[in-house]
Amino acid sequence: MPERDVRISIELGATNTDVVALDDRDYVLTKATLPLEREVGARIRGAIRAATAQAQPPAERVTHAMLGTTAEIDAVLARRAFGCVGVVRIGGPLTHAAPPLVGWPASLRQALSGGQAIVKGGADVDGRVQPLDEEAVLRFLTTVAGRVEGVAVTGVFSPVAPEQELAVAELARRELGADVHASLSHEIGSLGLLERENATILNAGLIGEAQRLATTFREALGAEGVDAERFFARNDGTVMAIEYARRFPALLVGSGPAGGIRAAAFLSGVGDGFVIDVGSAVATIGALVNGHPRESATDRALAGVPVNLRLPDVFTVPLHGDAAAVHARLAEAYARAQGTLAAPTVVAIGGAPGLVTDALAGICEVIRPVHADVANAIGSAIAPVSGRAERICSNRPRDRSRTLEEARAAAVERAVGAGAHPAGVEIVDVEEVPLSHMIDRAIRIRVTAVGPRS
Amino acid sequence: MLGAGGGGDPRLSVLMAAWAVEQHDAPAVVSLDELPPDALVMPCGLIGAPAVAAERIVSGDEGAELRDAVEALLGTPVAAVMAYQLAGANGLVPVTWAARMGLPFADADGTGRAFPRLHQRAMHLAGLTAAPVVLSDGRGNSAVIRAADDAEADRLARATAQSLGGVCAGALYCMRAREAPHAAIGGSVTHACALGEAIARDSIEHELEAIGELGWTKLIAGKVLEVERQVGDGGLHGSVIVQARARGARRLLRLELQDEFLLAMEDGAVRAVVPDLIAVLAADTGAPVPAEALRRGQPVIVVASPAPPLWTSDAGLALGGPAAFGYDLEHTPIVQAAHAGA
Repeated sequence: MPERDVRISIELGATNTDVVALDDRDYVLTKATLPLEREVGARIRGAIRAATAQAQPPAERVTHAMLGTTAEIDAVLARRAFGCVGVVRIGGPLTHAAPPLVGWPASLRQALSGGQAIVKGGADVDGRVQPLDEEAVLRFLTTVAGRVEGVAVTGVFSPVAPEQELAVAELARRELGADVHASLSHEIGSLGLLERENATILNAGLIGEAQRLATTFREALGAEGVDAERFFARNDGTVMAIEYARRFPALLVGSGPAGGIRAAAFLSGVGDGFVIDVGSAVATIGALVNGHPRESATDRALAGVPVNLRLPDVFTVPLHGDAAAVHARLAEAYARAQGTLAAPTVVAIGGAPGLVTDALAGICEVIRPVHADVANAIGSAIAPVSGRAERICSNRPRDRSRTLEEARAAAVERAVGAGAHPAGVEIVDVEEVPLSHMIDRAIRIRVTAVGPRS
Repeated sequence: MLGAGGGGDPRLSVLMAAWAVEQHDAPAVVSLDELPPDALVMPCGLIGAPAVAAERIVSGDEGAELRDAVEALLGTPVAAVMAYQLAGANGLVPVTWAARMGLPFADADGTGRAFPRLHQRAMHLAGLTAAPVVLSDGRGNSAVIRAADDAEADRLARATAQSLGGVCAGALYCMRAREAPHAAIGGSVTHACALGEAIARDSIEHELEAIGELGWTKLIAGKVLEVERQVGDGGLHGSVIVQARARGARRLLRLELQDEFLLAMEDGAVRAVVPDLIAVLAADTGAPVPAEALRRGQPVIVVASPAPPLWTSDAGLALGGPAAFGYDLEHTPIVQAAHAGA
């Protein structure tokens, strides 16, 4: 029986497939960049073979397999190839001034929505719950039965009081059958009803694609004789277990840039600076803070729709034109991103070795670490697993400490649900933000937990 | 721009107003002096916490609830809706209500900028009373406040908003059209539309030129060097330092903020101070940046505009001048940049 100590990680890029195999000391055993193939299963199998070829290392040694799906998910967003979703909002008689899907591009609305309803119910900021109009829910479910792959359920202040979303999910299971998935907003986004609802609807519309990818991944590994724990790369540069990703596919969006930034920190040892990832058509620039990808604070959007998901704070620079033009654009982008006086270090990853170094010569220090060409794949291979929870409570000491405990437990539970090893999960961030203009002050508590893969 | 960095995120209000106009007709914008002298004008908007308003989205029928209550109290039909404050999130919520009620929208508001207290209004300076203040939570709960004075009305309305879900709809300073031209700031909607068109110009240079024609002056163009913010009782407090480099010289502009940008200082001297408006534009897009979204390293342009003249009268300064926000300063006019390109 050979040792079992190898992780393989595959990044499905837009123009090629990267794969790496790492041992349990994070030493890179093999790496390869493969040309594009038409079919995802063939891409994955080809990558597995490349990683385990010449028995270096053999397939039996592989314990974990990671898949970065950015290009596949981006293609779904671009083609609008979503599943049909029934949209339930719990909040009537409030919220009618901005109904679900308001402001969406018409083509996206048509691609996703199989019908929508606002039913009476919802909660207040202090957790007081208004009665849920179950009959209205049932009437709506009857109208969408047989036509939708999933339902998206969003309740006013569900991050404070999730029970009505859970009740609607139960009704949907009963009325539409267990095959119809329910995406619940309190598990997906944070405060801000429309942005959370948008994220929940997109999540429900991506479920089918996530399940196809999960099945393809499992079958490809099986066909190549690999029996491993399976993970997908996630939008904050961590990874999540396949079963979790199948429920929360919206978390797959943006995983490529986030993983690249995390890998750049790991490979270069740089904790704070910028990461420039050179692709075939664009370079993606993101910030590195304390070894983590910086999250976008404002204007987060998916497919042109505002959402409150954690997305990496990145922007792109086009790479067409002659070298001088590209150099000038990269230097300008660096100046724009740089801001402060000191010249932050740049870590260059991706293709075209030398391009970033040449463009920024004399402007700042550019590090191109070893294995920079397959950084995205390495990012998923070395990433931990995260979980986050948000709560709102009054600022009275007893209430606050009880809620803080709840939020910590929920964040740990989510990290474990996403595939973290229960014994290794730690709380890495606790953020408390008072809500302004509240006389009986309310605070929002947000807790992030991180642990190693199980 | 008129929110001066505060006033709440207007994006949701824009979506709601666009939706209401799509479903109903756009409300007619009427000048106050076009209305019959006895016509009743209802200033209104949201009162309470902006973060709650983004979750507990209005039904759209609050305007009608406020109107019904005001008409029952005053015995006169409401002839026009007015934004009590056209700046920030509050400017467009009354547009939604007006569209749904089929009422005209007055080309006026009570502030010409954002102010945190309900009685920091032009109508208060004109001697009108805020009460009776009518509040509605959009779910059938409402309250009427009669108060000893306008400051008490402000305190009671904000405390009641807390019990009405953290944010509620409110109507206050209801007035006859014959009083309104002397009490409200006329032309606010026209001015806001012109400002909106100026901000939408195709380049930052054209935008600066266009807002210049509307009274705005550039204070500095540079990068955000430091941001310090905390959320204290009632709102956001802090300061921002913007650094410019030109011809080897370094300049620093310091902005003080309490929900809104209130004070801009350079080399120990005041460049602009409340009640004058100070706004920060993103240097790339030219869009105004809310104070809570400013970030270190961001390239920005700081601009300022004189407040409507009533705010620089003695009574106006006492209500909304530097001293009202705890600054031991005289109000001084905006100081333009010493040289072009600064």
